[in-house]
Amino acid sequence: MRQLSVISRRLAAASVGLALAAGAAACGPEGGDAEGGSSDGKPTRGGTLSVLNQQAQSDFDPARLYTSGGGNVPSLVFRTLTTRNRENGAAGSKVVPDLATDLGTPGKNATVWTYHLKDGLKYEDGSPITSGDIKYGIERSFAAELSGGAPYLRDWLVGGARYRGPYKDKKGLDAIETPDEKTIVFHLNKPEGEFPYLATQTQFAPVPKAKDNGTKYEEHPISSGPYKVVKNEGDGEHLVLERNEHWSAATDDERKAYPDRIDVRSGLDAAVINQRLSTGSGKDAAAVTTDTNLGPAELAQVVGGDAQLKKRVGTGHFGYTDYIAFNPKVKPFDNPKVRQAIAYAVDRTTAVNAVGGSSLAEPATTYLPEQASFGHTPYDHFPAGRKGNAAKAGELLKEAGYKDGRLTVTLTHDTTKQDEQGPEVATAVQDALKRAGITVRLNGLEHNDFSDRIHSVGTEPGLFLTGWGADWPSGGPFLAPIFDGRQIVEDGYNFNSGLLNDPAVNKEIDEINKLTDLKAAAKRWGALDKRIGERALTVPLFHPVYKRLVGKDIKNVVISDWTGVLDVSQVAVR
Amino acid sequence: MTGHLLRRLAGMVLVLFALSALVYALFYLMPGDPARLACGPRCNTIQVESVRGQLGLNDPVPAQYWHFLQGIAAGHDYSTGTSVQHCGAPCFGLSYQNDQQVTDLITQRLPVTGSLALGAMVIWLLLGIGTGLLSALRRGGLTERVLTLLTLAGTATPVFIVGLLLMMLFCAHLRWLPFPTYVPFTEDPEQWAWNLLLPWVALALVESAKYARLTRSSMLETLAEDHIRTFRAHGVGERGIVGRHALRGALPPVIALSALDFGTMFGGAVLTESMFGLPGVGQLLVRSVKAVDLPVVVALVLVTGFFVVVANALADVLYAVADRRVVLT
Repeated sequence: MRQLSVISRRLAAASVGLALAAGAAACGPEGGDAEGGSSDGKPTRGGTLSVLNQQAQSDFDPARLYTSGGGNVPSLVFRTLTTRNRENGAAGSKVVPDLATDLGTPGKNATVWTYHLKDGLKYEDGSPITSGDIKYGIERSFAAELSGGAPYLRDWLVGGARYRGPYKDKKGLDAIETPDEKTIVFHLNKPEGEFPYLATQTQFAPVPKAKDNGTKYEEHPISSGPYKVVKNEGDGEHLVLERNEHWSAATDDERKAYPDRIDVRSGLDAAVINQRLSTGSGKDAAAVTTDTNLGPAELAQVVGGDAQLKKRVGTGHFGYTDYIAFNPKVKPFDNPKVRQAIAYAVDRTTAVNAVGGSSLAEPATTYLPEQASFGHTPYDHFPAGRKGNAAKAGELLKEAGYKDGRLTVTLTHDTTKQDEQGPEVATAVQDALKRAGITVRLNGLEHNDFSDRIHSVGTEPGLFLTGWGADWPSGGPFLAPIFDGRQIVEDGYNFNSGLLNDPAVNKEIDEINKLTDLKAAAKRWGALDKRIGERALTVPLFHPVYKRLVGKDIKNVVISDWTGVLDVSQVAVR
Repeated sequence: MTGHLLRRLAGMVLVLFALSALVYALFYLMPGDPARLACGPRCNTIQVESVRGQLGLNDPVPAQYWHFLQGIAAGHDYSTGTSVQHCGAPCFGLSYQNDQQVTDLITQRLPVTGSLALGAMVIWLLLGIGTGLLSALRRGGLTERVLTLLTLAGTATPVFIVGLLLMMLFCAHLRWLPFPTYVPFTEDPEQWAWNLLLPWVALALVESAKYARLTRSSMLETLAEDHIRTFRAHGVGERGIVGRHALRGALPPVIALSALDFGTMFGGAVLTESMFGLPGVGQLLVRSVKAVDLPVVVALVLVTGFFVVVANALADVLYAVADRRVVLT
C-alpha cells in the first residue's frame, strides 16, 4: 500500500499521481457513457493530449516508481508482465496479462511462478524484449541508488532481503531464473497467490542492460510501451511523449494509445487546472488531469450550473480508507471499552464534511474499501449512526471506570491543511467526541514530523489520524501491513499501529496467501477484516471519492475500480 | 573604486560562506530524515541505511559540509551506479531526492525566474515611480487620494488573489490571453512575452504599490530640501526642478529597494510561480524544503544570496550616478 499522508514528496510526485488521484472506481463520466466520454463519435487516432497536474512525474525510472498497477503516465512507456484491465468499474479491478501470455503458472503451492513472453515484443529502438531484461529490471530496483519502490520483491523473493542490486552484486538474484529468452521463473519465500497483481508494478518492466545508465536512466528510459519519452525537463515537471513506432497493438490488448503525442505539465495550481479544464480554450480542450480533484466550491458550481460541464466530470473510488488509529500500549487506549466509546462517538457526517462533503467522501464503517475485489464484507460493530452515539459512548466510558463519563485524550494529526489527516478532520473528531464527554486536545505536527512519529513504535501516539491505500485491489496489501504481527517493525517505519500480533490472524493471512483463486481469497479477506474490526484498533471514518474534470474534446473516458482515475492510455482527443 | 569593488567581493564571499554554514546547521534541526524520504516509506532499516551511506549522510556533519565546499571550489565525481560522472565547479552536489546535479536543477529554472523578475521589475518600476511621482506632485488633491487608495489596495492584496482574478478575467472570460505556460525566450520570443504578461502584471501590481509609496515620500522630502527652494528662488521651471534635480535626489532609496527585491526575486517569486505554474526557482525551493533536500536548499540560498549581494553592489554604483554627492571609496 501506501499511506498517502506519509509518502515522501518524491514518491508523491512519482506515483501518487495515481493513488491520490485515484480513488477509484467507479463510474466514468457523470451522465455520460463509458464508451463515448464527453463527446459524441467514435474515438480515433491522432492529436495531442495535454495532462495538467500539480505533482511532477519525477523519478521516471521503472525501478524507482511506487505505483498501483503500473501507474497512469508510466504505464504509457513501461509495459509489465501483467497489468490492470482497462475497463470501467469493477471489471477494471481485474489483473490481465501484458508482456506475458497469461497471469502466470503457479507451482509448489504458489511459491514458484512461471511466465512466458508474447511474440513480437520490441523496445523503441526495435530490439527484442527478453526475459533477461525483465530480470535485470527487477534486480536494479534493489540498488540503493534506485530506491523508492514497493517492498514486496524484497520480502517475497528468495534472498531478496540480502540482495543489493546489480551494481554491487554482479552475480544477480538467483530467485529469478530465465531458462530461455522468453521464459522467466520466480522463486518465493512463501506462498503468494496474488503474485500476478504484484507483476503489474513498474519494477516488472524490461530494462536492457546495455542501455542502463544508472541514476540517469530516468532522463530517457527505453520504452516498451506505446509511447517513448522525447523530453523530460525539470525531473518530470514537463514530460513529452510521442508514439513508439515499434510498439505493436497486436501484442497489447489494454492500451488504446489514440493520441500521437502526450504533453504532461505539472507544478500547476489546483484552481488553475480546474479553471483551464472548465474553460477548455485552445489546447486545454484536449486536456485531462490525473491528480487534481474538483474542490467543494467548484463542485457546487458544476452541479448547480452548466449541464455540459457536469457531463465532463468523472467520478472514481480508489481503494483508500481514512481512519482513527489507536496505540493500545498507551493509556487509556489499552482499555478496549475506551476505544469502543470513541468508535461510538464519532460523527462521520462532520468528518465527511471536513473533507468537502458527500461528493468527495463516503462514510466508512469497514476498514476494507467498499469494492468487491477487496472482499468487502459489510459490518458496523459500533454503530454510531450518522451523527455519533454519544449516549452509548458515555455508558462505555462509565464501564471503563470513568464514573462521571468524562475523559481527556490527545489526538495527533498532520498540520497540512485540507489534508485527510489534517486539522479540519481533527477538529470534526474533537467536536463529536466532546458531545460524548470526551475532551480532545489537538496535537498538530508538521508533515514529516507527524509521519516519523506515527510510524515509530517508540514515539507512536495513543490516538491519531491516518489512512491506507491499496497497492492493488485486494485485501492482502490492505490488511497484512497493518495487522500482521510479523510486520511490526521495532527499529524502523512501522505500519501496524495497533501492534496486533495475534497468531490466529497471522495464520489466516498465510492461509489466504496460498490461494490462487483470487475470488475465494477476496471472500476470506473480507471475513478477516470483519473479525479484526471487533477489536476496535481502528475507527474507519471515510473513503475518499474523486471528481475530475476533463476537457471538452476528450473521448473514451475509462475509470476503473483499480485506479479510480481516468486512464490516459484509453483517452482520445479526436 | 577598485578598492571598493575588491572589498565588496571579499564581503560577498564571507556573507555567502556564513549563509551556507547557517543553512547547514539549521537543516539538522528540521524534522524529517532525508534518507528515509529518498528511500520511500516502505523501506526497511537496512535499505534506509544503505541509502544514507550512498548519500554520504553517515559522515560527520563538518565532513559533509567540507565536502560540499570542496565541490563548489573544485567540482567532484559521483557514481550513477553504472559509471562515474564529473560535476564541474561550482558543483553543489546531487539532490538527495532524485540524484540529479543540483547545478543542473537550478540552471534549468533560472531563466524562468529571471524572465519573471526582469519583466515584472520593468513594469513595477514604471508603475511605481510614475504613480509615486504623480502623488507627490498632486499632493492633497483627489488624484493623490485615489492613488493612495490604489497603492494601499495593491500592498494589501496577495499575489495569488490578483493572479487568479487576472487569469479568470483575461484567460477564462475574455480569452484575450492564454493561461500562462512558460515558453523559453530562445524558442519563441513572442510567446515568451505573451505567456509571461499576466505573471508580470500580477507581480508588478503588488510590488509597485510599495515603490509608489516610497517614491512619493522620498520625493516630498527632496522637494522640501533647501537646494530645491534655492532653484525655485532662481526661477528654475517646475518641470526642470522635478526632472533634473528632485527626482535624482529621491531615487536612491528606490534604487536600494529595487536591488534588494531584484536579488531576492532570484530566490524565486514563490507565490507567483506557484499560482501561474511557472517552473522556476521558487517552486524548486518549496519542493526541496518539504523533502528535506539539503544540497538543493543550500544551493538556492547561496544563489539568492549571490544575486542580493551583487544587486546591492550594483545599487551602490547607481547611487553614485543618481546622486553626485555620493562618492565610492
